Amino acid sequence: MLAGSRRAVGDQMIFVGSARHGYGPRLLALISYVLPAVFIIAPLASFLAYSFFRMENGQIVHDLSLGNYRRFFADAIFVPVLWQTCLLCLSVAALATLIGYPVAFLLASLKGRRRHFLLLMVLVPLLMSYIIKIYAIRSILGGNGFLNRFMLWTGVIEQPLTVFVFNLNAVLLTLTVLLIPFAILPIFLALERIPRSLIEASVDLGASSLQTFVRIILPLSLPGVITAATFVFVLAIGDFLTPQMVGGQSGFTFGRIVFSQFGTAFNWPFGAALSAILAIVVISVIALGNRVGQRST
Amino acid sequence: MIRLSGMATSLLAAITLAVFLLLYGPLLIPILSSFFTVSHGDVLWNQPSLSAYGALAGNGGILKAVGNTLIVGFSATLLSLAVGTLLAIHYCSGKSAGREAMQFAIYLPFLMPPIITGLALLIFFRETGVPRSLITVIVGHTVFVQALAYRTIVVRLQSLGPSMIEASADLGASAFQTLVHIILPNLRSTLIGAGVLSFALSFDETLITLLVTGTESTLPIRLWAMMRLGFTPDINALVTIVLVLTVLLCVFAVRQLLPEAQSNSE
Repeated sequence: MLAGSRRAVGDQMIFVGSARHGYGPRLLALISYVLPAVFIIAPLASFLAYSFFRMENGQIVHDLSLGNYRRFFADAIFVPVLWQTCLLCLSVAALATLIGYPVAFLLASLKGRRRHFLLLMVLVPLLMSYIIKIYAIRSILGGNGFLNRFMLWTGVIEQPLTVFVFNLNAVLLTLTVLLIPFAILPIFLALERIPRSLIEASVDLGASSLQTFVRIILPLSLPGVITAATFVFVLAIGDFLTPQMVGGQSGFTFGRIVFSQFGTAFNWPFGAALSAILAIVVISVIALGNRVGQRST
Repeated sequence: MIRLSGMATSLLAAITLAVFLLLYGPLLIPILSSFFTVSHGDVLWNQPSLSAYGALAGNGGILKAVGNTLIVGFSATLLSLAVGTLLAIHYCSGKSAGREAMQFAIYLPFLMPPIITGLALLIFFRETGVPRSLITVIVGHTVFVQALAYRTIVVRLQSLGPSMIEASADLGASAFQTLVHIILPNLRSTLIGAGVLSFALSFDETLITLLVTGTESTLPIRLWAMMRLGFTPDINALVTIVLVLTVLLCVFAVRQLLPEAQSNSE
C-alpha cells in the first residue's frame, strides 16, 4: 500500500500540473474513499448495528430490535447515572476553563521566547503518561497524601480527610487537572485573534483596563471559551479509566458502565447501545457548542 | 497581542504559577521517587540513588511492553504519514462533496470519545474474524492519530498552493522528480513534526488500546495492570526516562512545525 501511495502522489502532481485525465488521480480517489470507508465508517456502522442486537445464553443474537434502548430508559439506573455524569463533566469543563483562562491570557500577552517557553510548559503535561498522572494524583489526594498532610500542617483540619479519594470529588479533581491544558489552548487561540486595533480604540476612547476587558476582550474570547469547554466536556465524558481508578465504589460514571458491558457484564450489544447514546450526547454538545460559539462572535 | 499593566501581569503570573503547580505536581512524584526512597509518604532526601535505573534493566516484562509500544508507535506513525499525505493530496486537488465527506470521516475518530472508536473497532474485528493482536492495536492507533497527520499536511499543502508544482511540471519534470524535488522538501518539516506528534500520541494511547489489544500489552496497558499493586521504583525510573525523551522530542517537533517560533526565540 505504501508503494501505491507514493505512485499516486507522483501521478497526482502531474495531474495538477498538466493533463486533467489519467489513471493516477482515479487510483488516488479510490484509495482516499476506500480506506476511511473500511477502517472508520464500516467499524462505526457495525457498532451501530450491534446496538440493535441482543444476548441470549451468552451468545450474540443478530436480530434487530430496540430492546437495548428500551432497557436504557426502563431501568432505574442508567438515566440518572448518565445525568450525573453529564453534570460531573460540565463541572470539569467549567473548572478547567475558569482555571485555564488566566493562563491563556498571560500567554496571549507575552511574546517571543517567553511565550514559546510558556506554551511548551502548557503542552508538556499532555505528554506525560496518562496512567502515571492518575496514579500520582491519586496518591496526592489519598488519606496519607500530600493534600492531607498540607492541610494538617496548616491546621485547617485535625484528622486526615478521606473525601478526596474514591468518590466523585476525586473524579472531578483528577479530570480537571488532567484536562486543564486542553482548555488553555483554544482560549489562547481566541485571544490571539482579537485585533489589537479594537483594544487600542477602547483605550483611546477612555475605557479603563477593566472596562476594556469586560466589554471587548471577554466577549471576543467567548468562542474560544466555548470551544475549550466543549473540548474538555467531550474528553471527560469519554474517559472510563480515570473514574475507574480514582472513583472507587461510589464514583460511578456512564463510561464505566459502558466499559463493564465489554468486560465483567459481557453484554456487547447493550454496551454498544449505551455508547451510541454517549455518542448522541457528545454530538449534541459539539453542535450546541458550535451554535453558541458562532452566535457570540 | 494583548498588552498588560505590570500589576495585572504579576497577578496573572501568580495564578499561572499556581496552575503549573497543579499540572506539574503529579509529574514530580515519579521523578522524585526514581532517585529517592519514599517510605510512608516521606521522601528520604539523604539517600539519593540510581538503583531504580539499574533494576529497570532486569525487568523483562516491562521492557517487552516498551518494545511493543515502540513497534506500534513507529508502525502507526509511518502508516499515518503515508495515508495522511495521500488523503491530503486528494483533498487538496479539487473540491467536491465526496472530499468533504472523506475529511469528515477522517476527523470522526478524533472527535468521538476514544471509547467509541475503540468499541467500533473491537466489534468490527470480531465480526470480520480478525484476532486481536498488536496488528489490531496498530490499526486502532493509525485510525486515531491519522486525523492529526492528515490535518497538518492539508494545512501545509494549502499554504504551498499549486503554482510551484505547476511550474515544476511546466519545466518538464516527471511526476517522480516533482515529488522528490518539490513536494517532499516542502513537506519535510511538516512530516517530521507531524510524525513526532503522532508517535507521542500513539506512545501514550490507552483507552483505544485497552479495547483492541489481545494478550500483548503496550506500556500504558502494562502500567494500568500494575497500578492495583502499586509501582516498584524501576517503574518510576522508566517513567522519568520516557518523560525526558518525549519532552525533548516534542520541543524538536514544535520547532519543526513552527520555524518562526525558533527565530522569535533567538
